[in-house]
Amino acid sequence: MRVTRSRRSALWGIVGALVVVVALATLPYVVYADVTDLLVNAFILVVLASMWNLLAGYCGLISVGQQAYVGVGAYTVLVLAQNGINAYVAIPAALLVSAAVAVPVSFLVFRLRAEYFAIGTWVVAEVFFLALVRVRSLGGGTGTALPGLALIDPVLRQAVTYWSALAVAGAALLATYLLLRSRMGLDLTAIRDNELAARSVGVRVTSAQRAVYVVSAAGCGAAGALLIISQLNVLASAIFSVQWSAKMIFIALIGGLGSIEGPILGTGIFIAIQQSLAQLGAWYLILLGSLAVGIAMFLPKGIWGLISSRLHLQVFPVGYWLHRQDSPSPLAGEPLSSGSRDFPRGQGRGGGS
Amino acid sequence: MTAEAALLELAGVSKRFGRITVADSLSLRFQAGETVGIVGPNGAGKSSLFAMIAGDLKPDAGDVRFDGRSVLRLDPATRCRMGIARTYQVPRPFENMTVFENLLVAAYRGGQLSRLQGYTVAARILEETGLSEDANRPAGRLGLLQRKRLELARGLATQPRILLLDEVAGGLTDPEMAALVEIVEQVRQRSVAVVWVEHVVHALTRAVSRIICLAGGRLIAEGDPQEVLANPEVKEVYLGVDIGA
Ligand SMILES: Nc1ncnc2c1ncn2[C@@H]1O[C@H](COP(=O)(O)OP(=O)(O)O)[C@@H](O)[C@H]1O
Ligand SMILES: [Mg+2]
Repeated sequence: MRVTRSRRSALWGIVGALVVVVALATLPYVVYADVTDLLVNAFILVVLASMWNLLAGYCGLISVGQQAYVGVGAYTVLVLAQNGINAYVAIPAALLVSAAVAVPVSFLVFRLRAEYFAIGTWVVAEVFFLALVRVRSLGGGTGTALPGLALIDPVLRQAVTYWSALAVAGAALLATYLLLRSRMGLDLTAIRDNELAARSVGVRVTSAQRAVYVVSAAGCGAAGALLIISQLNVLASAIFSVQWSAKMIFIALIGGLGSIEGPILGTGIFIAIQQSLAQLGAWYLILLGSLAVGIAMFLPKGIWGLISSRLHLQVFPVGYWLHRQDSPSPLAGEPLSSGSRDFPRGQGRGGGS
Repeated sequence: MTAEAALLELAGVSKRFGRITVADSLSLRFQAGETVGIVGPNGAGKSSLFAMIAGDLKPDAGDVRFDGRSVLRLDPATRCRMGIARTYQVPRPFENMTVFENLLVAAYRGGQLSRLQGYTVAARILEETGLSEDANRPAGRLGLLQRKRLELARGLATQPRILLLDEVAGGLTDPEMAALVEIVEQVRQRSVAVVWVEHVVHALTRAVSRIICLAGGRLIAEGDPQEVLANPEVKEVYLGVDIGA
């Protein structure tokens, strides 16, 4: 008996991901800042959508209040920068503060179920917003500039911001991957599939959900830090806007919930739509909304779900594959002896029982 | 109370859903290494009894003691880690996980095994329960029969000290039934208590040393399998139900 973590070798995906990261890291040397600025935006969205996917796609927690942590992250950077700490260095602090804030908040919102949880998280975000606009030194309701970075040469600043965003996005995806590959990943997929059964086989559902909630807050906090750094200012009503939740939900839904790849693909699609159709004004929003509804209705696993089920493609394998002694080596590429027992092709996810 | 300490003890457990009584001051005891059958008509409260033991359902009154200690205030996950495993009459597989992964999560959490132990135990149980061929299939693609096997296998993977089986034998062929009885016997020999709710009475009589008959949440009869099944009151509650089927 032998167990591997995917049917095919995971090495391929790791090498591919490394190549992509290295290629992306060289971009500031080869393209203009408008491209890297666009990518900073994309990296922030990838982080946000991945964090929302962890909550909704793996824990069944529908939050519309993750902007609370986007705001906490941004204001942490602001406070530290006002006290002379370099904004880039403050990114890890933003992450930690957001996680720390999420722990007590989780005890509050986890008392609520389903739609009440969603509303509860939104209320928390609004409370954070109302509290922060009262602090004059942080700009109140009119916003304030991020001190320190404006003095740096813009070309260098844009490059460092870009690398920071790339690092945060890479770390967020890596953390998601490692989390899902760990035993807690098994807990989460079990909870997602059948919460009652998960409890009855010994999964501590609430602790697993709380851990993910805190991780998700940390990721959103880091994204908030990147936002204030890339914009060089912060406006409370913008950073605590429920629009962030709308974007996370849209991207995660069209890309595909319940996979690491989904939010990455979703971000690409979102940016493409945004770039090509933003000038359409209100029509652009109507189009986004209809697309999300259509995908939610007809492709519950999103576009990535469609691709991966058709092509049996997994860039980030997190599963377990049991090789029995009497079956051929996995390197032979056909671990199961009887073809008919293998995954039937072209089938949708057979839900229900 | 007898001198022998019971592994699981229900003391005056009652539960009502509106006007339906699913447990009416039930007092039952189960010993380690014992196989007990539970029979009774549909709606007798058998599945609800399992739910109250496992922690999915709170009794209105009475106590559930495991190893001499009340577990009423413990959640299902904790009870499972202590050694109480249940299967669901309507299977509840983790549909998007493979069969092997379904067992792994049970072995890691319920059984609190290490990574390697988990692999070994899960693979062994798949072999025992005839699910090896399906190890890498998503559980959602299994048919009803295989889903029932998975319920049993996942329960076993939690390393139970008491295993509550809720109608896992329906639809099995005779050789499959014999294999199931064999599994239950092997589990019992590891001094696990097996409590088995089943309508297929002839399978039950081969596997258990004691039968409990419930109806309307009340204990109708308890004791030697043949004697309980010959009991006129038991025949009465089963009127119209072919208990030999
Ligand atoms: N959650 C519930 N709410 C209301 N009634 C229930 C609930 N669960 C079970 N019942 C009712 O309790 C009775 C006993 O059910 P159950 O324990 O499943 O019986 P059995 O397993 O012996 O067939 C049935 O009449 C059923 O409809
Ligand atoms: Mg039942």
